Amino acid sequence: MDVDSALRQIEAAGSLEALQSLKVQYLGKNGLLTQQMKTLGSLTPEERRERGRQLNEAKGRLEAALEAREAVLREKALQEQLEKEALDVSLPGYAFPTGGLHLTSQILQELLDIFRRMGHSVVEGPEVESEFFNFDGVNMPEWHPARDMQDTFWLEKPENFTIRGPFAENVNDLGGALLRTHTSPMQVRYMIQHNPPFKIVVPGRVFRYEQTDASHEAMFFQLEGLVVGPDITMADLKGAITELARGLFGPEAKVRFQPTFFPFVEPGAQFAMWWAEREKWLELGGSGMVHPNVFKAVDDYRQKMGLPRAYEGMRGWAFGFGIERLALLRYGIPDIRYFYQQNRLSFLRQFRN
Amino acid sequence: MRIVYSWLKEFLPDAPNPQRLEELLAGLGHETETIEHLSAPHPMVVFARVLSVEEIPGAEVRKLVLDAGREVQVISGAPNARVGMGVALALPGAVLPGGLEIGVRKIQGLESYGMALSAKELAVGEYAGGLMEFPAGALPPGTPLAEAWPDEQVIEIEITPNRADVLSVYGAARDLAALGMTLLHPDPRPRTSKIPLPFQVWIEDTHGCDRFTLSYARGIRNTPSPLAVQRRLYAAGMRPISLVVDATNYTMLELGNPIHAYDARFIGEGIRVRRARRGEKLVTLDGVERELNERDLLITVEQGGQNIPEGIAGVMGGSRGEVREDTTEVALEVAHFDPISIRRTSKRQGLKTEASYRFERGVDKDGQVRAALRFMELVQQWQGEGVEVAEERIDLNHTQPPRPIAFRPSQANRLIGSSFAKDEQLDALKRLGFQVAGDAEPYQVTPPSYRMDMDIEEDLIEEVARIIGYDKIPVTLPSFFPAPDNLGVDEPFQAKEQLKRVLVGLGFQEVVNYSWSSPEELAKYRAPAPTVALANPQASDRTHLRTAIYPGLLHNLKLNLSQGEQGPFLLFEIGNVFNQTETTRLGMLLAGEAVPGLWQKGLEGGFYALKGLLESAAAHLGSALRVERESFPHLHPGVSGAVYWNAQKVGSIGQLHPAIAAQAELPTCYLAELELPLPKAKTAFKDVAKYPASLRDLAVVVPEAVPYSEVERIIRANAGENLESLQIFDVYRGSPLEPGQKSMAFHLSFRHPERTLTDAETDAYMQRVITAVEEAGYAIRR
Repeated sequence: MDVDSALRQIEAAGSLEALQSLKVQYLGKNGLLTQQMKTLGSLTPEERRERGRQLNEAKGRLEAALEAREAVLREKALQEQLEKEALDVSLPGYAFPTGGLHLTSQILQELLDIFRRMGHSVVEGPEVESEFFNFDGVNMPEWHPARDMQDTFWLEKPENFTIRGPFAENVNDLGGALLRTHTSPMQVRYMIQHNPPFKIVVPGRVFRYEQTDASHEAMFFQLEGLVVGPDITMADLKGAITELARGLFGPEAKVRFQPTFFPFVEPGAQFAMWWAEREKWLELGGSGMVHPNVFKAVDDYRQKMGLPRAYEGMRGWAFGFGIERLALLRYGIPDIRYFYQQNRLSFLRQFRN
Repeated sequence: MRIVYSWLKEFLPDAPNPQRLEELLAGLGHETETIEHLSAPHPMVVFARVLSVEEIPGAEVRKLVLDAGREVQVISGAPNARVGMGVALALPGAVLPGGLEIGVRKIQGLESYGMALSAKELAVGEYAGGLMEFPAGALPPGTPLAEAWPDEQVIEIEITPNRADVLSVYGAARDLAALGMTLLHPDPRPRTSKIPLPFQVWIEDTHGCDRFTLSYARGIRNTPSPLAVQRRLYAAGMRPISLVVDATNYTMLELGNPIHAYDARFIGEGIRVRRARRGEKLVTLDGVERELNERDLLITVEQGGQNIPEGIAGVMGGSRGEVREDTTEVALEVAHFDPISIRRTSKRQGLKTEASYRFERGVDKDGQVRAALRFMELVQQWQGEGVEVAEERIDLNHTQPPRPIAFRPSQANRLIGSSFAKDEQLDALKRLGFQVAGDAEPYQVTPPSYRMDMDIEEDLIEEVARIIGYDKIPVTLPSFFPAPDNLGVDEPFQAKEQLKRVLVGLGFQEVVNYSWSSPEELAKYRAPAPTVALANPQASDRTHLRTAIYPGLLHNLKLNLSQGEQGPFLLFEIGNVFNQTETTRLGMLLAGEAVPGLWQKGLEGGFYALKGLLESAAAHLGSALRVERESFPHLHPGVSGAVYWNAQKVGSIGQLHPAIAAQAELPTCYLAELELPLPKAKTAFKDVAKYPASLRDLAVVVPEAVPYSEVERIIRANAGENLESLQIFDVYRGSPLEPGQKSMAFHLSFRHPERTLTDAETDAYMQRVITAVEEAGYAIRR
């Protein structure tokens, strides 16, 4: 056999299959070289040594050439496979849906995070309330003109419905039923059930009898805060609201307090935050020191239920504000009806941070 | 309330400009809504008197000749033009507030050399139906109106319900003066005569009416009021009517006391204040007949042995005794009524007036005589000669003087967190008109008669803080303290937040829908009928409270589709529903593909997609989810089931009933609705696997009606405790199976925690399973 010709053939092999058959042709069981090896036995020892050396050398060269060629061909095949597998990576992938929270939930979360850092617990109350918890209990008796500040959705006396929460059996008898006009009834509910001191925030839906337009909604969300203890001061309230402002508008945020009137606080204060970006005060909500009549209503109720009076001599602060306004102003949203009346995806999906 | 700036200046000569006033008022708790600038009329708008009015045949307009220093012919459509009246005349060249330029115009073929103006054209009122009328001699004809009617500014402030004492020009001045400005107190001194009072007053209910004054004047000519007065009334938001009526309104706006003037001819022997009888009727000034009851307080007239209802006390008078054009003698009522009684009547009658608004908030019980004197003084000033005012007046006074409140400056500092000096605090109270008695704590502080909102020490503390300034209250960081009774209270809310996060992570968009619905909408979607109805609904689709979440989600889907919004629609809402009580629910909706492939095949959004997402949510929360076939009115009877969360039934899942979808024109969609809170799973640690698992496959042939859950139950019940996992990997129908049969194929994985299972052991487990399957009547497919 001609080694050089064999090497040329190996070098020219175009595929792994062709290379394999060359390997069989020369080095296989019946291969040319193998057959020549088999003839070695018929030679003299000297001839055999010389011939054996030649054949082994030829085998080594062939093997090395086969190996080298195989590597080349394998690399080529791999390249071909990779080329064949190539994708247009610029095409879009599967459109896995991306979820998101409603804008209101996002703002709420931001607010709750701030108050949780200050040690507040988050609790909720029912949307259908009794007149007592919504009004009388927070120092707004039936004759009080302050009731005019909150136009109310009254409910027909529910026959087959029980207002949610503990002491439900009494609650239906506590005056008329209504959609709560603020989250403040939860102040009374919470204090009846829990002993001071505590810090809570109460987010939730509230309802006002208002015609819906671009800036008014009959349903919106409020956040209520309440802190009660023996030594709570109005300065603490200012501190907490200042923290809120810093959380919302950064460390340089300023807070403005002005006197105002809410029946359930005394002294009462409305608060505004300085919005540096827009260079204006943002009137946010009302606050103040819990009115003694609220504590008294709580204790009277506790007594009626056989619980000890726990709020005499206590002091507390409370605040409340509607949260949509923050969202409207922050993003420059022109119409509050985008929030609950429409729920359009192209609106909701814009808020993803 | 609208504060006319020049009027305020009469009491507060040092008042700063309106912009600075806005800041001061805000610091006192009175928020400014607007500051309005009312310009003086254009110089070519002059005072004129009507000399003649001439009909133009066939035309609705008339020819007026006016004296404006010279005779001017104007063609006018004003119905109230009459000879002798004073009007405002815009001459050619005048520009009206709306920008209208006045020129010489031809109307009905006649030259019109200007325009006589209505209140609207003068921009002082809404009324455009006739000329604004002035007294005939108000100004020399031809004088620019601006001389009597200069630039004016109006600060409109919001008065909180507790501060009725600020519902007047003087009241606002009084509050501002506490900041350190000079206050000029009103001291009206009409000229009085010794003329007898032609009436008496009887009060039957001294609780409902604890003060009643009735004064008398005669010789009045009830003409239009002077120009400047009309201007002020308009600026304050009231319409001038006539001298007497304007004087009552002017006095009320200035001093805060509601006043009622009767034509003295019609009050007989006098006035009796009494409670109404049930069913008694009365026609009020607005022409409405009103039915009264025992809680309403009435003003009645005693005349010739008869008792005649005249008006609802403190709310609205009747038309019988009202002053009119020919009124010459007036009986003037300035009274005080029980706020609660007034409010109840006003609310029940749906009748809110300037008077009731003030009475229900609290009117100064001590200002009646001053207000009566001011009225008389004004009438004398405005009319000139002829008005005789009786020196005597009836004044039935059953009011209690304000009682003192104990006040401790130390307590103020404790509540506020401040260290305001004692003297600074007491001084603030004194400047507000409070009387302070005592040399040490507790001081006895008596509020002035007009501060009916002062009841307890906290009220005084607010006054102190208000005058010292809320900006002087320190800012302290809220202290942290242990709240042992507060632990764990936020768990329900946190569970909701966690669930929301999981759903968002799975691709669901949160929506927030209204809490209300209507019986029609709920019926349309086969939701439970409502149990709670609104007494005063806003709209026909908001009459009741919702009983389920999904109708809102379907509404969202429909609205989004109609607006061309792109899916896929994976929506959820966590909200409250109202059935036997208020409960919280999660509603989910899936419509369209679950995972769109866009240019390639995506994941179909069917039942198993929604179920898979729910299963994934459960897995995220470490919970087990199971669905068992069950029918729900709103779901496809064959594609629906009850959802069991950690083995507890919590709600439903399925395809929207095709009949509903067709009727509501909705695409095929899938819904889930779960009652919250979801039962929590406990995490139980199991050591990680250390020995190899032993794997077997099994195919079971069952009739079509047998659900997966049945086969799963049999396998699990018999595979022994070492069954680690059971997973279905194929559901097959067709040859060689009989029609109506299906084969379900499972991977079973067995593992012993402490050693390697032998093949023999695993085979034994499998044999038990196979036997059980066969005993249940099903075949094993080999």
